[in-house]
Amino acid sequence: MEENTICVLPCNGLDKSLGVVAREVALKVIDKASEIKLICPVLLNSGDDNYEQLLKSSKLILIDGCVTRCATKLAEERDIKPFMKIQVPDLAKKFKIKPCKDLNLDEDNKNLVELISDLIIAELKSTKEVKEVETRKFDEIDYFEITVDKFYFRVPKEGYFFNENDCWIKPEGNTALLGITDYLQNAASDILFVDFPEISVEVEQFDDVGSFESTKTVLQLISPGTGSIIAVNKKLENNPELMNQDPYQTGWFVELELKNFEEDVDLLMDGPKYFEYMKDKILKEKDHLDNLKGE
Amino acid sequence: MTETFNADKETFMGVPRKKIPWWPEIDYNKCNFCMECDKFCPHNVYERTENQEKKLIVKNPYNCVVFCRACAKACAPDALKFPDKRETTQLIKKLRTDSTGDS
Repeated sequence: MEENTICVLPCNGLDKSLGVVAREVALKVIDKASEIKLICPVLLNSGDDNYEQLLKSSKLILIDGCVTRCATKLAEERDIKPFMKIQVPDLAKKFKIKPCKDLNLDEDNKNLVELISDLIIAELKSTKEVKEVETRKFDEIDYFEITVDKFYFRVPKEGYFFNENDCWIKPEGNTALLGITDYLQNAASDILFVDFPEISVEVEQFDDVGSFESTKTVLQLISPGTGSIIAVNKKLENNPELMNQDPYQTGWFVELELKNFEEDVDLLMDGPKYFEYMKDKILKEKDHLDNLKGE
Repeated sequence: MTETFNADKETFMGVPRKKIPWWPEIDYNKCNFCMECDKFCPHNVYERTENQEKKLIVKNPYNCVVFCRACAKACAPDALKFPDKRETTQLIKKLRTDSTGDS
């Protein structure tokens, strides 16, 4: 098997019209690029050796029609990281196309199939170019630490500011790195996929600046600062686990050029304050869980 | 089920949560009751109401995390609306200043 075989796995969701779109997109993609192999999710789910082999040796495009993410789950069960991931609802919104009320696709939704399949083909061409991933240097930092049950949480003592949505910002001159805190990465558990904003997009404080997906859920990063996106951490595309392993440094998410951090900081907490806030939140949740167990 | 928290006591950025009008509003002209938002939300904001015309309602608005709009991302028919973020930020700033003035 060639190493650069590409296969496409749609959710095939006949439960919703956007699931039908997911399935149609997959068919359209193999129609447009015959070298791409199609994987039937239903057959894969009932066990098929050929598919299992194919998945192990190729790059995978996942297409999901809703947030239940059936295609994603099939890949996760096999510990396979996708090379590309399509969330049809996001793209339907992007292209301003309303889902059909039933499973018969109208002209708009047929057009959506066309648009998404073109997008996939274009993306495949662009990702053939090797992207250089810059390596940033990080100094050692001092942390506040707490362990609750099997979870270990840290918060940098200084240099970072936090919002109550568990995201951090680290200003340096007029730029800043942004990321998620240990609380959020522990809550999310294993992070598998990141979705970045476009470079140069303007962001206001508390806007979302992208999302990430874990085995449990899809979460958004809510920006602690105002400014424009000047970089995204490309390393996370291949190593999203850095957000779990090192959320405050190599697991950074995006970089902002700051507009007015003096004003932003009014609504942020510093390290000691956020650590207290986070501790309260963790202990409250632990009490809640203990109560549930006791019931 | 035990409530995750007591909304009367909750604060957000030092402001009582109940003073911040932040939660999703369902546009019933668009909603197709696919329940993706409810499946997504871990905070028990929504409630499914079987045998009613509106099969989904916002049951616990103050459980909603201020500035979180993640359920709207899950909503394919784009039927969920949130308040204006900038106005909410301004309101929080004002309430914080007011309470500092009081003390």
